[in-house]
Amino acid sequence: MFDTVRNNRRIVQGFLALITLPFAMWGVESYISNDSSGAEIAVVGDTKIKEHEFQQSLREQGERMQQQLRENFDPKMLDTPEARRTVLASMVNQRLLTLAAKDAHLAVSDEALAQFIAQVPVLQDNGKFSPERYEALVSARGMSKEGFEARLRQDMAMQQLVQPVGEAVVVAKQSAARWASVQLEQRTVAEYRVAPEAFIKQVKIDADAAQKFYEANQSKFQLPEQVKVEYVVLDQEALAQQVSVSEADIEARYKAHPERYTQAETRRASHILLVVAKDASDADIAKVETKAKEILSQVKANPKTFVELAKKHSQDPGSAQKGGDLEWFGKGMMVKPFEDAVFSLKQDQISEVVRSDFGLHIIRVTGIKAERVVPLGEVRSDIAAEVKREASTRKFAEAVDAFNNTVYEQPDTLQPAAAQWKLVTQKSDWLRKGDRLPAPFDNPKLQAAIFAADATSKKQNTEAVELAPGKMAAARVIEHKAATVQAFDLVKAVVLQQMTQEKANELAIAEGEAKLAALLKGDSDEVKWGASRKILRAAPQGLPRDAATAIFTANSAALPVFVGAKAEGGGYTLYKLTDVIAAEKNDPRLAMLSQQYARLIAEEDFGSWMSGLRNRYPVKIREDQVVKKPTE
Amino acid sequence: MAAYDLEEQEQIEELKTWWKQHGNRVTAILCVVVLSLSGWQVWTWWQRTQNVQAAQVFSQLQQAAGQGDAKRSRELAGTLIEKFSGTRYAEMGAMISAKVLVDGSDTKNARAQFEWVSNNAYDKAFRDLARLRLASVLMDEGQFDEALVTLSQEPQAEFKPRFLELTGDIQASRGNMEGAKLAYEQATTLVSKSEASVDTESKRRAANYRDVILAKTDGLAASSVPTGGVETK
Repeated sequence: MFDTVRNNRRIVQGFLALITLPFAMWGVESYISNDSSGAEIAVVGDTKIKEHEFQQSLREQGERMQQQLRENFDPKMLDTPEARRTVLASMVNQRLLTLAAKDAHLAVSDEALAQFIAQVPVLQDNGKFSPERYEALVSARGMSKEGFEARLRQDMAMQQLVQPVGEAVVVAKQSAARWASVQLEQRTVAEYRVAPEAFIKQVKIDADAAQKFYEANQSKFQLPEQVKVEYVVLDQEALAQQVSVSEADIEARYKAHPERYTQAETRRASHILLVVAKDASDADIAKVETKAKEILSQVKANPKTFVELAKKHSQDPGSAQKGGDLEWFGKGMMVKPFEDAVFSLKQDQISEVVRSDFGLHIIRVTGIKAERVVPLGEVRSDIAAEVKREASTRKFAEAVDAFNNTVYEQPDTLQPAAAQWKLVTQKSDWLRKGDRLPAPFDNPKLQAAIFAADATSKKQNTEAVELAPGKMAAARVIEHKAATVQAFDLVKAVVLQQMTQEKANELAIAEGEAKLAALLKGDSDEVKWGASRKILRAAPQGLPRDAATAIFTANSAALPVFVGAKAEGGGYTLYKLTDVIAAEKNDPRLAMLSQQYARLIAEEDFGSWMSGLRNRYPVKIREDQVVKKPTE
Repeated sequence: MAAYDLEEQEQIEELKTWWKQHGNRVTAILCVVVLSLSGWQVWTWWQRTQNVQAAQVFSQLQQAAGQGDAKRSRELAGTLIEKFSGTRYAEMGAMISAKVLVDGSDTKNARAQFEWVSNNAYDKAFRDLARLRLASVLMDEGQFDEALVTLSQEPQAEFKPRFLELTGDIQASRGNMEGAKLAYEQATTLVSKSEASVDTESKRRAANYRDVILAKTDGLAASSVPTGGVETK
């Protein structure tokens, strides 16, 4: 029952995704097409969800997962009936919402649509809506602008309908507090575990029983399949070693981008700032100006006093203490009038009074670094590395397809691929199926490939698998041992041990249950209880789920109360509940949990409302179509 | 006339007599058909215009709600109810504005919005949701009897567990632990039934919600026990 809290993050995330994401942006099929071709996989109200729409959604879901999981993604993840059902369920939900929005005659005005599109972050360039990006995005989805906008309109209408139900939820503070305070309830328990180890000596297993057990559970005693493989890894770094960069390349690059190898002029200056508000009256300005001129004349009379005067008079909090020093800066970093003044002065020269948005400045230039062209010698190695990197990226990109083809077209050897890209063919040790394998076989896709039938029986190359961006591998099985059943004599000891363990566990559980029954009857308490500890309902650490449920659902009217549950590592644990501690009234966690409760209720209300829609628009799903594997 | 032969002339005559007999009726029927078709056209046009206008008000309301502006969202919801009560935007707007009002502690106006939705909403589920939310507000104001009356009307089946849960909360708050327990247990039974659903999503939701109610049920027992119970034998 505590999973509610534990899983809550995921639930809430899923729920929010459903109600706040513009579905069209995700490319999930939600547009009701009048397309009459193809078989349907589900009927919602009087509309159909077509097989090909479903396949499209599956593909898109696959792409999304691939983006998220990268090399850990395995297309098989979407091959389970469970995953396929989930994708279809989300399509059905969207269809229901679309129908409801349509029947409610919800409308989205052109303005609202335009406003929405304009504020989507991916469509913005420098904080502004970019029509080019918009067009690129729409055409990347293979849609027309009209089609895209029609779909978006539908999504927005759905969201209008969803908001009053899912987001505008109101829960009573008392309801929330009731749930939240239960979550923060603590119970004090002492425990006593009846461990199976104590019963092992009592257990006698005869050889016949062991033999029977072995025969009934042969698969448990198999040696798993093993392979030895040879493999090649094509990676960008290795390719970079093969690229040679000539002096001419470096020079060409250096000459092609003079702006990158030129350091613009920078200057260092100090200033004394007297603040004047932007909208100050003339009289105020005049007053400050008089003071500024006074300081200026002092500075001019004795330039050495600049630092002291800055410390004394400057109202720029950042620089006053440093004698007005502003460090080095280039053009474009300071306000315009200030910059103009600085860049027109000579070294150590002092400016007149300069007015900017901040106020009045008296400026002294303390350093000048003229524009400088960096000589090729200083950047040669940087340029060489850059050219090399670009060349190897290009080389790798070109190699990907060829590598794929080479290992595919000559499936009985990796030699051509190794020769073409100068790769070292490496050999693995025995790799046992189901073990944690060393790199690169820790990649699930490659792992699956080396144990696939084509690889093990026909000794064919695996397909080229992307291990990481810029890194691919292909392997070929050179030796294969099939899974073997081990003879009874070989595994007899293991069989006996397993059976003993199981039997001892049963005995321990029986003993634990008997002890609990005795305790409940009030028979004398001869159990050696361990130390008492407090357990928080919301996070019953170190307790198996069953035990936590037993402890927190126990009627605590008359304490102590005894409960028990099977222990996680085998055996049985008894718990003696001695105290129930209610949540503190001002526990700061209560507020957080109350919010969590509101989210749970929002989800429940939204879900109930959706099931109401299911009654209004009956949903029929062709289960056989959902479960079946796609025909290739 | 010479263009028609005898047989054709006969047919024309027949037509003419038929027209004399039924002509008026045919014209009348045609008129009705044309009128009702154009009437339907006008009606859908008007409906569409209403919806588009209401949608604009609604989108302003969404914005005001997003900024937590209770006053403005109340006014806009008022506009929707007054001028566009024929559209679904009225009930949608009222629900959103009521939420903003509750957040801004203006429960009086929030109640009025919820009451309007619970009596006028087109979507029956909205009526149930409005009642649940209204009862929640009443409960926090200590008006337990009114809250229970609000919940006494039978909701759609899918909202029944929520009605029971809230009834349980109210009973518990007024000290009727037995009544609360009964309501929670009824809710649990109902939710457990829908847990048997084939749809994994509904299954998961039902399991979560059942845990919520079970936790509250357990809480009833605990709160009847003073903390720091003494060990007795």
